[in-house]
Amino acid sequence: MANYFNTLPLREQLNQLGVCEFMDNSEFSDGVNALKGKKIVIVGCGAQGLNQGLNLRDSGLDVSYTLRKEAIEQKRDSWKNATSNNFTVGTYEELLPTADLVINLTPDKQHTSVINAVMPLMKQGATLSYSHGFNIVEEGMQIRKDITVIMVAPKSPGSEVRSEYVRGFGVPTLIAVHPENDPEGKGLEWAKAYCVGTGGHRAGVLRSSFVAEVKSDLMGEQTILCGLLQTGSILSFDKMVEKGIDAGYASKLVQYGVEVITEALKHGGVSGMMDRLSNVAKIKAFEVSEELKDIMRPLFQKHQDDIMSGTFSRVMMEDWANGDANLLKWRAETGETAFEKTPAGDVKIGEQEYFDNYLLMVAFVRAGVELAFETMVEAGIKPESAYYESLHETPLIANTIARKKLFEMNRVISDTAEYGCYLFDQACKPLLADFMKKVDTDLVGKNFNEGKDGSVDNQQLVAINETLRNHEVEIVGTKLRKAMTAMKAIKTV
Amino acid sequence: MNNSKSKSAFSDSGAQALVLIQNLNLQFAQKKVLNNLSWTIKRGENWLLGGTSGSGKTSLAKVIAGLSGTAEDVKIDFVKEGPLPAKVLFVESWYRFKNIEGLSNFYYQQRYTSLQANETITVDAELKHYGKENNLEAEGLEKLMEALNFSALKNSQLLELSSGEHKKLQLVKALWLKPQLLIIDQPYTGLDALSRRRLNSLLDDLSKRGGQFILICNDTELPESINCFAEIIDGQLKSSNAPEEISGASLRQSKSLPEFLRARPAYTSDEIVRMIDVNIIYGEKQVLKNINWKVKAGERWLLQGPNGSGKSTLLSLINGDHPQSYTNNFYLFGKKRGSGESIWDIKEHIGIISPEFHWYFDATSTVWQSIASGFYDSVGLYRQLPYSKTAKVNELIDFFELTGNKNDLLSTLPLGKQRLVLLARTIIKNPELLILDEPCQGLDQQQTVYFNQLVDELSVNGMTIIYVGHFASALPSCLEKRIVLNEGEVAAIETIQEDCLA
Repeated sequence: MANYFNTLPLREQLNQLGVCEFMDNSEFSDGVNALKGKKIVIVGCGAQGLNQGLNLRDSGLDVSYTLRKEAIEQKRDSWKNATSNNFTVGTYEELLPTADLVINLTPDKQHTSVINAVMPLMKQGATLSYSHGFNIVEEGMQIRKDITVIMVAPKSPGSEVRSEYVRGFGVPTLIAVHPENDPEGKGLEWAKAYCVGTGGHRAGVLRSSFVAEVKSDLMGEQTILCGLLQTGSILSFDKMVEKGIDAGYASKLVQYGVEVITEALKHGGVSGMMDRLSNVAKIKAFEVSEELKDIMRPLFQKHQDDIMSGTFSRVMMEDWANGDANLLKWRAETGETAFEKTPAGDVKIGEQEYFDNYLLMVAFVRAGVELAFETMVEAGIKPESAYYESLHETPLIANTIARKKLFEMNRVISDTAEYGCYLFDQACKPLLADFMKKVDTDLVGKNFNEGKDGSVDNQQLVAINETLRNHEVEIVGTKLRKAMTAMKAIKTV
Repeated sequence: MNNSKSKSAFSDSGAQALVLIQNLNLQFAQKKVLNNLSWTIKRGENWLLGGTSGSGKTSLAKVIAGLSGTAEDVKIDFVKEGPLPAKVLFVESWYRFKNIEGLSNFYYQQRYTSLQANETITVDAELKHYGKENNLEAEGLEKLMEALNFSALKNSQLLELSSGEHKKLQLVKALWLKPQLLIIDQPYTGLDALSRRRLNSLLDDLSKRGGQFILICNDTELPESINCFAEIIDGQLKSSNAPEEISGASLRQSKSLPEFLRARPAYTSDEIVRMIDVNIIYGEKQVLKNINWKVKAGERWLLQGPNGSGKSTLLSLINGDHPQSYTNNFYLFGKKRGSGESIWDIKEHIGIISPEFHWYFDATSTVWQSIASGFYDSVGLYRQLPYSKTAKVNELIDFFELTGNKNDLLSTLPLGKQRLVLLARTIIKNPELLILDEPCQGLDQQQTVYFNQLVDELSVNGMTIIYVGHFASALPSCLEKRIVLNEGEVAAIETIQEDCLA
């Protein structure tokens, strides 16, 4: 199979990368009608599978699950999840031939083998749905021409997809139709109805393409979301210990700090996060983040280039073929870092203290979000897509670090994200070596405001505020966040 | 307060004082709650702290337990070498548990969904952990669990417990620890009649062993060992001679219902609920067994049964919240369940409130938003209301005398008022069916009477009602039929006679 994106002429590459439309509520007025009475079969019953299925059924649709024969015979967890919630469960042979919509919610890595098993059993004119485009775009999977191929990707963990639905809301969702597989022209109507069935239409829906989703998703997860949060956490912890800050305190500040700081990001964007600092601290954080942006920009660009050219996916798939040798090695190395091994101390850290004593992370987050966003937009990805894959997802990932540090983050994200995260982390640390030498405890570990009188230059402050608020990620973010105002905080602390 | 002064105060009141508070001031959400409050609790005293909702009882308890304020605010003189641990333990009226990963982000319907990866630990594991943490001997725990009728839940996950069962778990822990001072906020909420009596005798037992306690509530069936009574008025403590002397909320003016609630709800079917041999099973555990039940439009039902008998599960089926609805045979509002309707189509007909619903409600909504969200059956408001609906919200807010609070966050109100807000949310759309699952939990006596009168008025206009309540003294008088559950089975369906609620 050849990389699909690389088979396209440049104009079509740009065309597909540029599919991006924030959809109006009125486009969903037909509700779930397009899927009423249709037979929906979900492949896989993990967190996304089960929770999406519960939502679709509660929206009045006919949902059942198909699992591999072994999973059924051995009564694995996926089988129990589905049957104990009173869903019909059957083998591929039993359920797929009559299915109108087949929803593939298995892990990315299994897609090729799952699709190869599923596709021959699907009836003429059926529809196949993905929640991530890697298989189509990077692996170049070819789907039978009579089959419609769509994507519905809720931008939240499965448990959230359910909890937001039952409170009468939803999570932001990305939908797409694969242009090579829309023989009847029904793809968009079906994707919309499916999205309504999960509640996504209430929280903002972005119409994207398989290509735009993959190229932006890979970029976001490797750089700001997972890579930079990992690098920033490890460097911050090591610096504090080096400077004599209590290791338990340092561990707690890093583990929970990233969650508290990015929670502000979620509600008010980069400027909302920066506004949590005093004026003097904000000016300092601004300067530090400007420096970080200059240092890291070439690395962000390299990641984007490798993603666009297909180099990243080719190298990673080589590792898949090699029994995940690199992935497993790097995973073990992450588990051995001092931050990972030092439990959070039994100390109380107030909410504001996380900002005041962890200015360095505020600077990392601003630099990372803006760089990832800018690099994506420069590469032809539209601002709305870039926003979802940078700023929007950062608090969600930060939440997993708060749960159980980097181990938990790397466990929860896909193998693809994890692989890219390690690549970034390994390149970023040496890049920041000189910078980190200058960092002292006023930026990480102690209150930056201590011993300062708090006075600032008016013009400088106004100029900085203006720069922050007029960045494109803020302008597009303000618009998109309005659609999801009712989203609840997910917090560990 | 300086130290030398407090020392002399201890010697003045003799060595018998366990707790000494002098001139305590406290603010909550920028409002003054306690104003120069002083309180001495002598050895051997067990107090009832009553009074109106929002008077500052819970805030005061938290200061005594060291959960808020500073160490300077309260002097506690524990018995040095006694058998009981030198601790103050505060049992909150609402208990927030966390999952294995430290999150407390649960949602209301989650306990009905089966998920193989266990999200929370079991009761047994929780108790073992607690015992180890506090060096408690396993002996005595079993008896305690039995006394509170809790043993059967040993292997349940925390997430599966109802609010009454969570309350019991907290009580089991507290009575197992036997601290020198135990403070319980709303000790009886969610407990059935038998459990309440057992709790009282366990508290008497604690008192005999030298422990002391403070109960925060307005109940009248109290442990025999209670010997002091007080309430907080204008931020200060006022002692009374008997619980009857403690004032309730000032009587509300009786107002007539807003016009839009004086009309008969628009029924779509004469049949509200029809269940045919309904069964709910989790693994080996059967929660409902062969339930057959019919509710017709305009009927007023009382649903009763001990803690854990299946009441909440039964109601979750009616409200569209239970995942096992789809393979059971029942009809809601004349339509077969699972025939292509969405849960929102069902909820449209229903107004519901329960302690669990309150528990999981979005506390970051304002009062106004919370009530308005009742039009859409959502937890939190995410739509613009048209003018006609806005007017109804304002009218109802005025009726419940909540105008002064309409922009307050729900979480900053005292529990009783929060409950009132959710009750308003429940009736805002004049629903065909009103499900009131222990609606008066946490309300004081006056609020309860007032609320039940309201239910009576609503019933006059033909609203169908299913009401869960344990105590005859705290029920609306309009209820005419009763269904009793026991261990998941229908134990009785009967017409309510004057005396059958005794």
